[in-house]
Amino acid sequence: MTRLGARLRYFLRTALHGLRGSPMTSVIAVVTIGVTLLLVGAFVLLVSNMERLLDRFGEDILVSAYLEADLSGEARRVLVERVQSAPGVEFVRLVTEEEAMQRFREGSAGQASLLEGLDENPLPASLEITLASESRSSEGLATLVAALEGLGGIDELGYGTEWVEGYARAMSLIRAIGTGIGVVLALATLLIVSNTIRLAVYARREEIEILRLVGAGRSFVSVPFLVEGCIQGSLGGVFAVALLYGFFRLLLPGLEGGLELLLGFAKPVFVGAEVVLALIVAGAALGTLGSGLALVEGSET
Amino acid sequence: MRSRGVDPAHPGGGALVRLFHVSKSYLAGSWALRDVSVELGKGEFVFLTGPSGAGKTTLMKLVFAAERPSEGQIIVLGRNVGRLGPSGIPALRRRIGVVFQDFKLLPRRTVEENVALALEVLGTPRRQVRSKVFGMLKRVGLQHRRFHHPLSLSGGEQQRLAIARALVNEPEILLADEPTGNLDAELTLEIMDLLVSAATRGTAVFVATHDAVLIERYGKRTVRLEDGRIVEDNPGARGLP
Repeated sequence: MTRLGARLRYFLRTALHGLRGSPMTSVIAVVTIGVTLLLVGAFVLLVSNMERLLDRFGEDILVSAYLEADLSGEARRVLVERVQSAPGVEFVRLVTEEEAMQRFREGSAGQASLLEGLDENPLPASLEITLASESRSSEGLATLVAALEGLGGIDELGYGTEWVEGYARAMSLIRAIGTGIGVVLALATLLIVSNTIRLAVYARREEIEILRLVGAGRSFVSVPFLVEGCIQGSLGGVFAVALLYGFFRLLLPGLEGGLELLLGFAKPVFVGAEVVLALIVAGAALGTLGSGLALVEGSET
Repeated sequence: MRSRGVDPAHPGGGALVRLFHVSKSYLAGSWALRDVSVELGKGEFVFLTGPSGAGKTTLMKLVFAAERPSEGQIIVLGRNVGRLGPSGIPALRRRIGVVFQDFKLLPRRTVEENVALALEVLGTPRRQVRSKVFGMLKRVGLQHRRFHHPLSLSGGEQQRLAIARALVNEPEILLADEPTGNLDAELTLEIMDLLVSAATRGTAVFVATHDAVLIERYGKRTVRLEDGRIVEDNPGARGLP
């Protein structure tokens, strides 16, 4: 235990020594990781806000279930409850016959003559069903429709398949592009970081040789470099988050005005805590991996 | 007591270092060492001498596995050096202290940290490292310089630092390549006494030097190399001074 403790302390001390010993290289590594992760973060911010935007549109995806005319108030209440618990349902709203008529009147203002001569309301009551965001796909819709068709009391279902498919396609396109760009950025970061750290390893090849001569094993030589890379990477991640937040606050006022003009709503939000954490962890992982790559290449030459 | 010659029943026998018909060639057709057989026992002190380029440094490099022999066998601390794997080499080196001709000190670490390194690779707890390092620096007269960096030391001080690092983990074998090359007469004797005292503690000591006066003064066993061959193995006039 003391041996392990002594070793861990040695690794940490040597890593900090390395950071202090070559401040310029360390700063370059931190800034490099920070700037590349800033790009990744900006992209995540953009995609998550676009998703939110699409989500808002997605709330308009409705399934209308027209009820049979002779359904009692109690039967309607039971039906609403059963629909509510069907798969992929977010929200159910009952539109009564009177409400339907009211809407029709409002929608066809100026054509009041259409309603003249009707002595009773021909419009049925219906349920307006909003889909949960994960079910806004043609499969999700099909599952829901199948479930609804199994329930009694529903006369007819109305839904727009095209809308749903378009929405799902847009969503998966954004995610695919997001993943693609994310992977490319991560690879680029890894290369840049490993190059930067390779410089640090190269600058210390004499030190590595001496360590080997006094009997240092592979881990004794390489772990301090890995720890150093991990620290630089984490700092780079923190730097990226700080920059991203700074830019976000700076650009927000202009952005908000533009979006509101364009869409009538939308308030951009900053990435969540899990993304902040992921950026820092990604920085740490990239730094460690970059060091590892640099060491492997270093030991080959 | 040392046994000469190879006893086939006990390969390696009581010797800590045994070279058996060892040759080393860096370039095809030219030999840095040629058919060298020599043994070094526990607590034995041997001068390795000969002109520059005779193979002294090569012989030492073979012992601590910095080079592999082209021919022959080398048994060090019971291990066949020619067949050591990647983890066997560091394990062997941790039991051997080496004083390099060019010192090989870490310029960015303090005197104290340089010496501590030899203990840290062993995983020695910090408190023990501190006290051992301080004791060792005192033995070589560098305790007042322990927070300095090697480059601010004189040549003689750097040499003593290199010796301190080689001895601090009480190695079973000590290899010293021209350890007094940068020292004045007085310091030379101090350092030599240090190396001899390591031998009396049981360490097998190999000292490469071409200082004939030194060899004469200490009267120890002397192996003379010329053009990669052993031309003389003189048991020496005295056991211990």
